[in-house]
Amino acid sequence: MATPAKEFAGGAGNTVIGPSILISGKLTGDEDLTVRGRVEGELTLTNTLIVEPSGVVKANVAVKNAIVSGVVVGNINATESVELTKEGRMVGDIHSPRVIIVDGASFRGRVDMGEVEPGRVPSERPARPLLRPAVRAVAPPKPAAPRPAEEKAKPAIKPVPPPPPPAARAEGKAPPAGAKPPVPPAPPLLAEAGKKKVVVKKKAK
Amino acid sequence: MANTVIGSSIVIDGEISGDEDLVIQGTVKGKISLKESLFVEGSGVVEADIETQNVEIAGRVTGNIVASDKVELKTDCRVVGDIKAPRILIADGASFKGNVDMDIKER
Repeated sequence: MATPAKEFAGGAGNTVIGPSILISGKLTGDEDLTVRGRVEGELTLTNTLIVEPSGVVKANVAVKNAIVSGVVVGNINATESVELTKEGRMVGDIHSPRVIIVDGASFRGRVDMGEVEPGRVPSERPARPLLRPAVRAVAPPKPAAPRPAEEKAKPAIKPVPPPPPPAARAEGKAPPAGAKPPVPPAPPLLAEAGKKKVVVKKKAK
Repeated sequence: MANTVIGSSIVIDGEISGDEDLVIQGTVKGKISLKESLFVEGSGVVEADIETQNVEIAGRVTGNIVASDKVELKTDCRVVGDIKAPRILIADGASFKGNVDMDIKER
């Protein structure tokens, strides 16, 4: 070909809108699109839209995935996920089954994840713990918000394991056999100690 | 180094403007105005009026081209429209239909 070098330099099937470029109109495609400049109008992709920090998109967007580190004004309709990174700013509505809003992102608009069934929450743990605190951090700016979302998620989980041991000890006082299954090797000793004390008190009486 | 690339599956219907090089592998309809170079690659289809400094065409262009420096029609390109530029190169194998204006005033 006459321009083999340029074909390689351009990258195979990867579209980049450079920082000084303005596209106004309708943009459609079946590949990933990286926006460092401005796109205005309508944007439809069957793949991923990446709006970099210098990028500005003022358009109604329909994509599979969207990662917003720049500015988006308009509605995003994603079939898979929308992620607002810490540098992302967005005004508009998001319609997507997965929405990730990271601490530091600014967003004004509606989020619609489709049918949110209560049963679906535990099955999507990897996404949910990140997502819930992040959404709260954006809506009411609490002082605790600056903490990473993961830290928040962990304390929420920790309170769950502690309850079993007290329950096991309580059970240990009456039926020691019941205390053994739920508690690992060490706790049974404690449970037995508790039992002995009870016995001693009874003898004292 | 061109940092803007319109990939082969992309279709843009509208206007593109900017101050940097633009590589088109996909389809652009409407208008293109740049202050740098435009490259229409073999897979590129442009149905637009073009206004740039340099244009290199290896694909298909339908529309009028005005360049402040140079227009280059490469082998296997298909261009329909008028070209206006001080330097115009047409390679062997290129197909072109339209007027050429190199803007010769005096000399």
